[in-house]
Amino acid sequence: MWKNIRDREAGKLRPNSFANRVKSDRTSSLQLSNHKDIVSPHRGSVNSLQVDLTEGRYLLSGASDASAAVFDIQRATHSEGLIAKHQCIFAVDKQHEHGHKYAISSAIWYPVDTGLFVTGSFDHHINVWDTNTTQVVVNFKLPGKVYRTAMSSLATSHMLIAAGTEDVQVRLCDISSGAFSHTLSGHRDGVMSVEWSASSEWVLITGGCDGAIRFWDIRRAGCFRVLDQSQSQLGRRPPISGWTANKLSTSKSLLASQGSNMKSRIPHKKLTNGNATKPSSTGKLPAKGSTRQRLHPGLLSGQDRAVSHYGAVTGLKVTGDGMYLLSAGSDSRLKLWDVESGCNTLVNFETIRLQTNKPLQLATSQDSSLVFAPCMATVKAFDMWTGKTSLTFSGHYEGVNCCWYNFPDQELYTGGNDRQILVWSPSQNSTELDWESTADKDNWSD
Amino acid sequence: MEEERVEESKVRVLIENATNSTDSEVHPRLLKAIKSVVRNSDSELRVAAQTLMDLMKFDHSQVRYLTLLVIDELFMRSKLFRSIVVEKLDQLLTLSVGFRRSMVLPEPAAVASTLRSKAIEFLEKWNDSFGIYHRKLRLGYDYLKNTLRLQFPNIQANAMRRQQERMEREIRSKEILLRKYGMLKENFSSIKEEIQSTLDEIKECLDIVHSKEDDGDMIPLDDDTTEEFRSVELRQIRLAALKGEMVHENHDNKVIFDALRELYKLMSKHMVSIQEWISVLVRVDSTDIRFRDSALREFIDLQNSLRVVKRQCEELGCNFTESANHDDEDEDFWEEGPVGATKDGGTSEKKNEDLVVVSTSNVIKSADNSKTGSGAHVGNVVKNGEVCSSNSASSLRNKLLADAPVIEWGSFLNNWDSRTDILANQRGLELQSHWGRVDYDATIPAEKIAELNVRASLYKEDQPEIQPCRAPLRKGGLCPRRDLKVCPFHGPIVPRDDEGRPLNVSSSLDETTPDLKIGSVEQLVRQAVKNVRTRDKEAAETREHDKKALKRAKLAKIREHNAGVLQDAALASTSRSSAFGENMETGGEGTGSDRNKKKTLASMLRKKVSTKDRLSRRLLGAKSSALTKRELKLNEDANYREAFPNQW
Repeated sequence: MWKNIRDREAGKLRPNSFANRVKSDRTSSLQLSNHKDIVSPHRGSVNSLQVDLTEGRYLLSGASDASAAVFDIQRATHSEGLIAKHQCIFAVDKQHEHGHKYAISSAIWYPVDTGLFVTGSFDHHINVWDTNTTQVVVNFKLPGKVYRTAMSSLATSHMLIAAGTEDVQVRLCDISSGAFSHTLSGHRDGVMSVEWSASSEWVLITGGCDGAIRFWDIRRAGCFRVLDQSQSQLGRRPPISGWTANKLSTSKSLLASQGSNMKSRIPHKKLTNGNATKPSSTGKLPAKGSTRQRLHPGLLSGQDRAVSHYGAVTGLKVTGDGMYLLSAGSDSRLKLWDVESGCNTLVNFETIRLQTNKPLQLATSQDSSLVFAPCMATVKAFDMWTGKTSLTFSGHYEGVNCCWYNFPDQELYTGGNDRQILVWSPSQNSTELDWESTADKDNWSD
Repeated sequence: MEEERVEESKVRVLIENATNSTDSEVHPRLLKAIKSVVRNSDSELRVAAQTLMDLMKFDHSQVRYLTLLVIDELFMRSKLFRSIVVEKLDQLLTLSVGFRRSMVLPEPAAVASTLRSKAIEFLEKWNDSFGIYHRKLRLGYDYLKNTLRLQFPNIQANAMRRQQERMEREIRSKEILLRKYGMLKENFSSIKEEIQSTLDEIKECLDIVHSKEDDGDMIPLDDDTTEEFRSVELRQIRLAALKGEMVHENHDNKVIFDALRELYKLMSKHMVSIQEWISVLVRVDSTDIRFRDSALREFIDLQNSLRVVKRQCEELGCNFTESANHDDEDEDFWEEGPVGATKDGGTSEKKNEDLVVVSTSNVIKSADNSKTGSGAHVGNVVKNGEVCSSNSASSLRNKLLADAPVIEWGSFLNNWDSRTDILANQRGLELQSHWGRVDYDATIPAEKIAELNVRASLYKEDQPEIQPCRAPLRKGGLCPRRDLKVCPFHGPIVPRDDEGRPLNVSSSLDETTPDLKIGSVEQLVRQAVKNVRTRDKEAAETREHDKKALKRAKLAKIREHNAGVLQDAALASTSRSSAFGENMETGGEGTGSDRNKKKTLASMLRKKVSTKDRLSRRLLGAKSSALTKRELKLNEDANYREAFPNQW
C-alpha cells in the first residue's frame, strides 16, 4: 500500500492504475458490513435494487409487497453505537393512491437525474414517479405482468422504458408522450429480462422465457441478432491490433468517469460499422457474417429459432464497456457472450443453482473483472474471464433476487426473499478494529 | 506436529464423549476439560468448532442438544469461537431451530422441542451480548423474530418492563402518600380535637364510675374493717389493690358503662387511625419538616394517652370486647344442664328422657335464681352478675341468643360485623411473583367481605349416647359393652340399677307417671310425636348403616379387582425396551460401559410400545411372543448398526 503510494508519487505508477489497484483490493475484501445497516421497510421479498447513476447516493428498492423505497446510503438517519442505520427517505406502497396493487418486480432510476423513478409491477402497470412529490407522473398499462423495465443510460435522443412482460411482445414506453412507441415482437414466450446496450443507445437486448436472447435496433423493424449457445468461441476476443489492445485492456480497468471518452468512442465505432457492416478483422468470427448482413430484416428461420439457454433467460447484464453480455438462465447456467460476434465464450462459471422462477439481477464490478450473481441464498462473485468463484457472500436466510454494485464506494447491496437489504462493504480500517477488540474480548471464567 | 494431532484428537474425543449421553446436561467435568484444552490454543478451538458443527448435523436431537450446550459455553467465552460460529450461523440455526421445512429436527420429538426452545433462547442471549459486533447474529435474530415470527423469551425486555412497573408503582404510592399528607395537613387540628374530645369524655366517664364505686364500696368495706379493726393504711393499700377490680356494672352505672363502651369502640378506631397517620408521616418525605415533626410528636402523645386510657378501661374489669363471650358461656351453662342430667340419670329410660330434661332444667334454673338471689355478695363472679342483669333486663337478647347459631372459631371473626372496607392487596408481604399489574389501593367493600364470610355449616348429628349393657358379669363388675339394642351376651339392653339388676318396666312407667301428671295433655301429645319420630329416625339410621356397609363391601370388591388388573397391566408393560436391553446385555459379548450409553441413545429413538402391541402380544401367548422377541431383537440390532455405524 505504502509502496504503491510512493510509486505513484514518484511517477512510476499512473494515477488511474493506482486507483484501480486500491479499488480492486477493496472489492476483493468485501464482507458483510457491521457498521451500515439498511432498515428495510419492506414486508415482502426485495426484487430490485438500484443506486442512482448520477450521484451514486440514493438506493431504490422495489419489493413484493408493492412497496418501493429510497435510501440515502451515504448519510445515516441515526446510529446505534457505531452501527449506522439507514432508514428509507420515503417509501410508496399500496396505501398510496396511485400505488401498485401487486408486487413491484422492477424499480429503476431515471438515468439522467434522481427526479424520476420507474416501477414495474405485476399489476400490469408501469408507473413513473416524481421523486420529490412521490406522485405518479406517467402511467402505462401493459398487457401482462411486468417482469423487468430498463432505461438506457446512454440515451440522449430518446426517453424510452423497455418493458419485458408476460406478453411475447416487448414494448417501449415513451415518457415524453406517455404512449408505447414500439412493440417488438419476436419472442415466443414472456420476456423476463431487458437490458439496453452499454455501447449504443439504440440497441436493446431482451431475454425471454423461451430461452432466446434477442438484439433489437430500435430504429429498424425486427431483431437483428439471436444469440445461439452452439455458436461459441474460446476465451476473449483477440485484440484488433497492438495498440488498441493495450488501450482496450487499460480502458477495461478504467473508471467510468475517466473512460467517458472511451465510451463515446465505442458506440461511435459501433454505429459506424457495427450494425451495418461487420468489422473487417475479427479473428474467430464465423464466415457467415456476410449472410447475416444480408438476412437482417427477417432472419433466417433456423437462426431465428436459436436458443441461448435451456429454459428461461432470467437475467441479463452488459459489461461496463458494452463488449460482453452476461446471461443467467433457469438451467442454472451463467453465460458470457461476446456482443460483437454473438458467440458464447464458453466460460464455465461455477454456479451451483440459480433461482429459476424469478428474474435475477446481476452486477459487475466496474472494471468488469468480477460478476456478482445471486445463487439461491448466497451471492457469489466470479472472475469474469475464468469463471472461478472468488468470493461468496452468505448472509441472507432465503433466496437472493438482486444485487447492485456501487462503483464509487465499492459496496455491494443485495436484496432477498427474507425482506432484507444487506450491505457488503470492504473490511473496516484499523481504528474500527481497535474499537471492536477492546469491547469484544474473550472472557474465560475458568 | 505429532503432538498437535494427538491434542486435536483429544478435543474431538472429549466433545464426542460429552455429547454422547442421555442426560439433559453436559457432564460438568467433561465441559471443564473441553474448556481448559480449548483455551490454550487457537488451533484446538478451530478443531472444536469444526467438530461441534459436524455434531450438529448428527441425526439425533439429543446429540444436537448437548452440542448446542457446549457451543453456548464456548460462544460466551471465546471471541475466535464466536467469529467462527457466526460465519455459519444460518447453518447452526437451521440445525438447531429447524425453521426450514426441508430440514426438520430429528427424533426424539421431546428433545427436539427443548432443543428448539434452547436454541432460540441462546440466540437471544447471544444477540443481546454480542449482536453489535456481529451483523450476522443480528440478521439471524431479526429473521427468526420478524420474518418467521418465532416466540422469543424476551428476557431483557421483560426485566426492563418489570423494573419500570415497579418504579411507576412506587411513584403512585408516593403520590397517594403525599395526598394523604396534604389531607392531614388540612384537617390536623380537627382530627386532634376529635380524638382529644373522646379522650376527655372517657376520662370523665372513668372518673364518674370510680367515684360512684368508691362510694358504694366504702360502706361494706368499712363494715368489715370496723369489725376486724384494721389500720387505715392497710385499708388504703387494700383499696388501692382492689380498685381496678372493684368497679362493676350494675343498675346504677349501666348508662355510664354503655357510654364507656361506645367511647371505647370509638377509641380503638382512633388508635387505628392514629397508627395510620403516623405511618404516613414516617413514610412521606415532604419539605415541611417542622410540621411533620410536630404532628408526629403530637400524634405519639395522643397515642400514648389513648393507651393509658384504654388500659384503665380494661382494668375496670369490663372487658368490652368479650361481653358477648360471657353470654355464650351462659348459654353453654344452660345447655349443659340436660347433658349432665342424662349422664347422671343414666337410669332413666330413653323414651322419657326429654321429659327429664325439661324437669331438670327447670330445677337448675330455679336453683340458679335462688343462688343469684341469695348471693348478695358483690365480689361474686362477673358471670353471675351478667346473668342476673340479663335475666332481668334483656330477656329479649337472651331469646335472640338462644336462636343464634353457634359458629366455629376462625380468623373471620376478627372483622365480624365490621363495616369498614378492606384493602385487597395489602397483606404486609411484598410479593413479586404476581402475574400482572397490581392495584395496591384496591378495596373490597364491606358487603363483599360479609358475602365472602358466609359460612357453610354442615348439619352435625348428635351422636346419641349408647348405654352400656351393665349386666352383671360372673367375675364381678358390669358388662361394659355398648350396643344399640341387643348385647350379644346378655340379650336386649334394659335399664339396670347399679348392681346390674334390670329395673322393672312397669316401675319405670310408674316413675314416669308423676311426671306425666305434671305435664299437660298438649305436652303429652308433643312428646308422643317426638318419640315416634325418634324411633323412625333410628330405624332409618340402622337401615342406612346397613346400606352403607353393603356399598362399602361392593366398592372394596371393585377396588380389589381394579388393582389386580392394573398390576397385570404394569407387569405386561414393564418397558419392553428395558427387557430388550437386558436381553442384549446377556446375549451380546463384550458390553462396555460406553456401549451402554450408546444403547440408551438409540433407545431414545425407539418407538414407544403402544397398548395395542401389548394386547396383541398378550393374546399371542408365550411361544409366539418368544419368536417375535427374537425377531424384534434382530431388527433392533440392525437398526442400531445402521444408526451408529462407527460405534458398532
